[in-house]
Amino acid sequence: MMATARIGLIGVFLVLGLFFTLVSAVGVIRLPDVFSRAHTASQADTLGAGFALAAVALTLGWQSAAVKTVLLLLFIFITNPTAAHAIARAAYEEGVEPWTTGDDRR
Amino acid sequence: MSSDRSADGDAEGTITRQRPIYTESQVIMTTVKVVIPFVLTYGLFITFHGTSSPGGGFQGGALIASVVLMIAFAFGIESTRAWLSNTLVVGLGTVGVAIFAAIALIPMALGGDFLEYTAYYPVLGDTLGLKEYEFVKYGMEAVEIGGIAFIVSGVLMGLFFALAAGFTPADLDVTGAASDAPTDEAVGDDASNAATDATGEVDAE
Repeated sequence: MMATARIGLIGVFLVLGLFFTLVSAVGVIRLPDVFSRAHTASQADTLGAGFALAAVALTLGWQSAAVKTVLLLLFIFITNPTAAHAIARAAYEEGVEPWTTGDDRR
Repeated sequence: MSSDRSADGDAEGTITRQRPIYTESQVIMTTVKVVIPFVLTYGLFITFHGTSSPGGGFQGGALIASVVLMIAFAFGIESTRAWLSNTLVVGLGTVGVAIFAAIALIPMALGGDFLEYTAYYPVLGDTLGLKEYEFVKYGMEAVEIGGIAFIVSGVLMGLFFALAAGFTPADLDVTGAASDAPTDEAVGDDASNAATDATGEVDAE
């Protein structure tokens, strides 16, 4: 019973991780400018990587490698949004105008 | 940096957006402060543990260099350059090459091959109290720590600072003309252009 639930949870986490990573990849390709791309690359990608690593940690069970995986998860949660923040901030400092609808629309 | 730039407003009466003077980001500084000890520890771990687990001098050196890169991104590149002198950065690479060459060439002087660590055994075996096969492990360790990790971290930091120093577009002249040549006079004069091109290429080669 426990094993079945665990395998099911691993599957759910993997599918969710794949889904959010796919959303992130599509967003990076399809969205119009730097700011929206940085936004999708930070949010959806962090969640996708988080779910995938959670599935890995569940698969490994109680051992030292699982602890490393959880640490990796923690650092990805910290650093990935910060990297996107740095990119968006640098783009703003360089004078990239945000994409808008309406008159400014290209 | 960007305080002189304003939004494109052509007429009076339109409000021009005044950008504030650049300040370092609080978010990036805090994150870098939190993350740096772990990254440095991990880089040292990978370097020191390179002979018996995945990793090694290359990966560890890259991680150690990335610590300096993160500090530069968070707290300003110029202040980091002032803090970490060019002598240290270049010296890391130079000392690394010297250590690697010494460890690699001394076995040849002792009658062995290039990088044959067991050639050290007849000379140093008694003083260090090591067995012959242990020289292979510790020799490799010495090359990875003293040689490759130093070289990689020094070269990566140096490349980063060189890139961050920026360039003037004249440096990007693809014709090979010297960047400090007075290019303004040579515009439209094909003969002198060709002459500078030729000398530039000779200088480059």
